[in-house]
Amino acid sequence: MKNNPIYRGRIVLFCVIQIFSVSLYAHSLANIEMLYANTHVVGLMQQSQIHGKITDSNGVPLAGVSIIVKGTQRGTTSDFNGGYTINVNNNQVLVFSFVGFKTQEIPIHSRNELNVIMEPEVMSLDTVEINAGYYRVKDRERTGSIAKIESKTIEKQPVNNPLAAMQGHLPGVNVVQTTGVPGGGYNIEIRGKNFINSGTDPLYIVDGVPFGSQSLGAVDISVGINGANISPLNAINPNDIKSIEVLKDADATAIYGSRAANGVVLITTKKGEIGKTQFKLNMSSSLGQVSHFLDLMNTEQYLELRREGIVNDGFGAFLENPAFDFVWPDLKTWDQNRYTDWQKELIGGTAYRNNVQLSVSGGSAQTQFLISGAHQKETTVFPGDSNYKKTSFHNTISHRSDDDRFKINLSTIYTLEHNKMPRTDLTGKAYVLLPNAPALYDEEGQLNWENNTFDNPLASLQEDYKVNINTLIANASLSYELLNNLELKTNLGYNNYRLESYRILPSTARNPEFEFTPENYSSITTNNSKRSSWIAEPQIHLEQHWGDINLSVLVGTTFQSESAEQLVIKGTGFPNNNLILNLSAAKTLEVRQDSDSDYNYHAVFGRINLDWKNKFFFNLTGRRDGSSRFGSGRQFGNFGALGAAWLFSEESFLSDNTFLSFGKLRGSYGATGSDNIGDYKYLDTYGITGFEYNGTNTLEPTGIFNPLFGWEVNKKLELALELGFFNDRIQINTAWYQNRSSNQLIGIPLANTTGFTELTGNFDATVENTGLEINLHTSNIQTDHIQWTTAFNISLPKNRLVSFPDLETSTFANTYVIGQPLTIVKLYHALGVDPDTGIYQFEDYNDDGSISSPEDRQWIEDFSPELFGGLGNTLSYKNLTLDVFFQFKKQRDYNNLRVQATPGYGNNGPVSLLDRWREVGDASSFMLASGGFNGGLSTSSNNQRRSSSAVSDASFIRLRNISLSYKIPKEFSYGMDLNVYLQGQNLFTITGYDGPDPEQSSQTILPPLRQFTLGVQLGF
Amino acid sequence: MKIIESNKQINIAECYFNGSIRRPIKYLLYFILIFFMSSCTDFIEVDPPKNVLISKTVFEDSSTVESALANIYYKMREQGMISGRYGLSSMMGIYSDELNYYGFDTNYIEIYTHHVSPSNAVVLAWWSHAYNLIYAANDIISGVETSVNLSQKQKEEFKGQALFVRGYMHSLLVNLFGSIPYITTTNYVENNKVTRIPVNKVYENIISDLEAAATFMGTSDDTGEHVVVNASVAKALLARTYLYTEQWELAEAMADDLITNYSLELDINSVFLKESSETIWQFKPNGVSYANTYEANQFVIRFIPGQTYALSDSMIGAFESGDLRLSYWTGSATSNDGLTTLYYPYKYKALLSETDSLEYSIIFRLTEQYLIRAESRTHLGNIIGAQEDLNMIRNRAGLDNTEANNKNNLLDAILHERQVEFFTEHGHRWFDLKRMGVANEILSPIKPNWKDSNFLLPIPETELEINPNLKPQNSGY
Repeated sequence: MKNNPIYRGRIVLFCVIQIFSVSLYAHSLANIEMLYANTHVVGLMQQSQIHGKITDSNGVPLAGVSIIVKGTQRGTTSDFNGGYTINVNNNQVLVFSFVGFKTQEIPIHSRNELNVIMEPEVMSLDTVEINAGYYRVKDRERTGSIAKIESKTIEKQPVNNPLAAMQGHLPGVNVVQTTGVPGGGYNIEIRGKNFINSGTDPLYIVDGVPFGSQSLGAVDISVGINGANISPLNAINPNDIKSIEVLKDADATAIYGSRAANGVVLITTKKGEIGKTQFKLNMSSSLGQVSHFLDLMNTEQYLELRREGIVNDGFGAFLENPAFDFVWPDLKTWDQNRYTDWQKELIGGTAYRNNVQLSVSGGSAQTQFLISGAHQKETTVFPGDSNYKKTSFHNTISHRSDDDRFKINLSTIYTLEHNKMPRTDLTGKAYVLLPNAPALYDEEGQLNWENNTFDNPLASLQEDYKVNINTLIANASLSYELLNNLELKTNLGYNNYRLESYRILPSTARNPEFEFTPENYSSITTNNSKRSSWIAEPQIHLEQHWGDINLSVLVGTTFQSESAEQLVIKGTGFPNNNLILNLSAAKTLEVRQDSDSDYNYHAVFGRINLDWKNKFFFNLTGRRDGSSRFGSGRQFGNFGALGAAWLFSEESFLSDNTFLSFGKLRGSYGATGSDNIGDYKYLDTYGITGFEYNGTNTLEPTGIFNPLFGWEVNKKLELALELGFFNDRIQINTAWYQNRSSNQLIGIPLANTTGFTELTGNFDATVENTGLEINLHTSNIQTDHIQWTTAFNISLPKNRLVSFPDLETSTFANTYVIGQPLTIVKLYHALGVDPDTGIYQFEDYNDDGSISSPEDRQWIEDFSPELFGGLGNTLSYKNLTLDVFFQFKKQRDYNNLRVQATPGYGNNGPVSLLDRWREVGDASSFMLASGGFNGGLSTSSNNQRRSSSAVSDASFIRLRNISLSYKIPKEFSYGMDLNVYLQGQNLFTITGYDGPDPEQSSQTILPPLRQFTLGVQLGF
Repeated sequence: MKIIESNKQINIAECYFNGSIRRPIKYLLYFILIFFMSSCTDFIEVDPPKNVLISKTVFEDSSTVESALANIYYKMREQGMISGRYGLSSMMGIYSDELNYYGFDTNYIEIYTHHVSPSNAVVLAWWSHAYNLIYAANDIISGVETSVNLSQKQKEEFKGQALFVRGYMHSLLVNLFGSIPYITTTNYVENNKVTRIPVNKVYENIISDLEAAATFMGTSDDTGEHVVVNASVAKALLARTYLYTEQWELAEAMADDLITNYSLELDINSVFLKESSETIWQFKPNGVSYANTYEANQFVIRFIPGQTYALSDSMIGAFESGDLRLSYWTGSATSNDGLTTLYYPYKYKALLSETDSLEYSIIFRLTEQYLIRAESRTHLGNIIGAQEDLNMIRNRAGLDNTEANNKNNLLDAILHERQVEFFTEHGHRWFDLKRMGVANEILSPIKPNWKDSNFLLPIPETELEINPNLKPQNSGY
């Protein structure tokens, strides 16, 4: 009975109703009290009317400024001309507030006219509040390490995934785009790789609700186009985001316990603001192109190498024998003078993106709302009509009771994505297709197969891949202030992610000579996947003051349940290809996968924050977690952290210092964990494969099971110094961290003789990530007309395998080295081409006269970045604002040699291949040409691809983003806010890297595009 | 199915606060817990997913054990050494003198040109696939042993099939790699550090597994199509194994047993049809996507180019004039310009895309038993008996009786007969060249890179990295 989901759901529902009803009951009680209290006050004071005009420092009227009578709920907002009128008592105070400006409190003093000049808000540590997830904290009092990026930075980047907007902006956060194809994924690493085998995905929390970031793409369907890696975060429109906070150290993350080892990313969406109803319209168009093409051989060069290679292989005589012409059509039957630039043909197009977003927001002092809808369409650089469409809705409504005690906040994001792409990324083909390959289409407009000698790459355009994704993220947060210092709160959330995709293989995409028909060949594979989760988090917040001591306590509990299902069906054989989308027309159906998984998670968590004299801050956080991912007796884990900060600039000896305006020393230590290992791994099971033999469905052993595994533990230590100079116009934050991860859950590689290749288990190895992060923010010029600010961040991470018991005898002996990073690879040490033989030479480490693995693969290369960061400048003059942002990274990566080390193979390659060995005494960088028919030469070539020469510097400085925006003066815009902007993304890159893109070294995946965007923003 | 035994009432406080939460808020926390939770372990128990079965339950029902065995048959048909895709039939065909390779895949070129590197993907795939099946077989062997619900007869039937698979996989491995480990348990700790044992020990194990398999299983063919292993299949492999280990009497007796119980298919056109009377074991093709064999799909050349394999000149030249096998079992294709003609194995004719199931992939057929008996009899001095067996096969192919009349002539004639009979079938040719000691003599004139060390394939490189106990690498690699 206890496993019955209805029963389980009931417990939680009961809990939620409990806290909700307690809140409501308390609220109604308090209202009654209020009713009595208010009757005494009415009619005692004299009322008068006050009016005035509100402008900015340039004298431009400000519309929509909120004006509230202090201590009451009464208020109004300024009109189009900045004017306002309100009834007040003579001795009352008016509060003027507006986004981006300092809030001002001005006493009436019996005036009846009050004109106000709003001053822009300078980034001030006193006022900036940071979202730490379960609680908010003033930046100056913060004890943890939290990096933040705000809407004003996100909006300037024409990107369609929140992760993309973070690239380079946040210290310690390394984001890499996995493909330039729209709708693909991103890899993110916060402070390095902690665990030997699991990923680096952090925990994502969207408006308080955990958001599963694992792709539900099916390998059967989309591995060729986006690696089956479809980022669910695509569903979140970056323009709907108010801020993204990245929690990095133990102090900030321990409250998330077992899921926080890789850091926590908090995404907060925009909310309505108090003030008049505002309409905002944002429209933009982008053009995107591949930013860098490889320098590939032309027809003459290719044919020369190819011929030479075949002769070198000893097949020269065959080359002259017409009976063998069919083996090398490129040299014999194809036009020897034809040349096609396949990069231009296949990935040289322009990707267009059109984006329109309309939002309405506003509200009274009690209730605010925001409704926003956006639509976007993006095409690709491939030929054909592939495109990605996204429609997103974002609604929020916030309400607070008159007495400010009861608060409710609802927000909903609903996104529809439609992505139609070719089945395979054409990039790989663009780099290797022969320069004299025939035309893609014949005279009749049909795919050209050139008498069966050409494998037409455009066939994949007919093999559609299409995906529809619906994402719903709904969240409600209710709170009630039971006593002045005690607040009850409940967070409720629901996510639903549905993915429906298919891939078709119509017979028409195949060479007709194979005589494939719709009946015997055409197939469709469909994937229906969904994941839904709900969460309930009742909490109590308590504040207590005793003299110089402020105490704040938070206690809460989490119930979370997630279930996922995936159904993959393949239908084969259709009466004709027009019916291929209809599974019921298929002759045979195969269920390729029908799986489900449940994950339940339950925790209690708490925080005690102590503040003494506003100078010393202590923050104790903890969590006890239970997860269904572990076997009996190992489901629970404890995590916790202590953080402390000393605001030494508040000390008397520094308080009068005009140079140093802010100084804080902070540190933290604690433990977090990771249960990111997939569900049900502790069970000894047989899997239903979806295949059959002789009418019997097959059941296969799913692997070697291990019931004994538990949490991975990640201990984080951080020390940081935060300084502000000249009234905080210069702010420097420096943080040093040391994270040690132990009890590693790893797929321990097994010899194949065990029947499998790995076993999941905890391993007593320790991995350390240390690093230094520096964040600098300066306000260089701050006058009425000109503002210039600079932001710079740099991270210097270092990863190290600290200990690994019995590494030498373990299955990792040839993968890892103690003291070296986890990201190393062991390679042959290349010694260049032997001038006598023309074959690659390698260092023979064990002097046994032959080059063999693993003994001679002792050269170590590390692929993790040595340093990375960004430099941004914002310059504004009157209505014109210019942003320039550079991203930089120092790293090494595989170069072209990893793919192509032999001149003369039957595919195109870099022009550099021409520098090959030809005769004794040649000093060349490539070996002698080989057509690939000489197995002896292929060993030399294979080893070279796995040698030190296949790795080179892949550092880069990239102008990631430039944005120029102009705010059209009101006199020309009929009183509306009108902004025109031009943005560029990924404009140029300074790099010495020999490959498609230093950020994305793969030779088969479309690199990130260069984009230009023109847009207009309208507000009224 | 319950995963966690939680019959005892767990103290809530203990469950939450054996950690280190401090006293002042402890009471507050108690308070909340009482309100919001009923029990903390209940919530984090989940049912197992619908796409898996707990292993123990698999062996308590004969239909799920059959499914576990179906998985083995399925995998043997689809991947690895005996599959018609990338299996021994084509790979050892290009490694020996049966096929030429015209493609550009470096793994295949390495095999074709005798430059197999220890990182060769085909070799690794064969190795890992075989051990994966051996694990599956071992799990069935131990699983049915402890089963409560299965009858003794069912247990023996299942165990027999699994033992056969274990023996068969090892027999192929030992032929390709020489000294190998013999895996009889699912214990990964042991198997991860396992060492190689001498070839004769491997054969001892194979023979004992096959003998047990032959006694456990019956000889009846419940499927009516010979698509599942029975005692006869185990005997057929035993006969082959005795032959390979030169135990002539045993080989003769075992072949004899099969020859009495099966009948040779006399119509050469029907030998590879699914109803062929001489079939001892065949794979039923995937009825859903493909109705026919991978062999036909891989070898049949419809136009030039079209396939990456074609029969070698020496193979085509090996047929005596008038051999029906040349006309019935090979085909040819000529290019449009008439300059190129390629020959291909045409034993299996129906292509995958054809909808009627005409042919199944045959693994063991009776002809081999005739030739095993002929060879054993030759060694045992029964020249006339050997000639009779050999002539059965020759006559079916439209050839006259053999002229060989002494031991050496006969052995040559049998080697030749096996070449033209079993070409591109499961690597027979290569194994014959190797075991009869003629590989050097026959291959060195026609395969430029042939070396003595090519008798064995290299142990996969990654395997030696993970388990150094498997060292040393086979010589020459």
